[in-house]
Amino acid sequence: MPYFQTWEEFARAAEKLYLTDPMKVRVVLKYRHCDGNLCIKVTDNACLQYKTDQAQDVKKIEKLHGKLMRLMVSKETHSGSMETD
Amino acid sequence: MVLLENDTFLTELTRLFQKCRTSGSVVITLKKYDGRTKPTPRKGHAESFEPVDNKCLVRASDGKKKISTVVTTKEVIKFQMAYSNLLRAHMDGLKKKDKKSKGHQQL
Repeated sequence: MPYFQTWEEFARAAEKLYLTDPMKVRVVLKYRHCDGNLCIKVTDNACLQYKTDQAQDVKKIEKLHGKLMRLMVSKETHSGSMETD
Repeated sequence: MVLLENDTFLTELTRLFQKCRTSGSVVITLKKYDGRTKPTPRKGHAESFEPVDNKCLVRASDGKKKISTVVTTKEVIKFQMAYSNLLRAHMDGLKKKDKKSKGHQQL
């Protein structure tokens, strides 16, 4: 199961994977406070993973999570015109 | 698996995070949901419902307790704001990267 090295690559691949088959893809977020790390996985049974122990990544992960959530509840399947905040 | 209202889910998720501060992990799953309430029929019965396109399922677990909620387009903005705040507030046990902008320090 490949772990991505940079956040940007992971985020791009995750969104792309989601858009290929929205119904199949799920996002799993695993947080371990005692170990001090966070692991995010985007999978449609082929896995993309990203692991971090950096506080700066929490915000990025949480933003991607929100973006994917909004994609899931929207009726259109476009990706280009998402507003970035 | 307990299906809750969005607000109840957020309260319970807060509790999960608090419980797991000393040990264990919190696993959160996000998946698109088409409103199906019955398993897919095997023998080609006509599906008697219209799949909807604007819902997603959020689940959380600490290994023992499982909770879940369904978020729709109408609720997503409110839910997502509260949810983001929650994540940020609780996922604070990670290392902070300090950028040494004043030059290198010899440790």
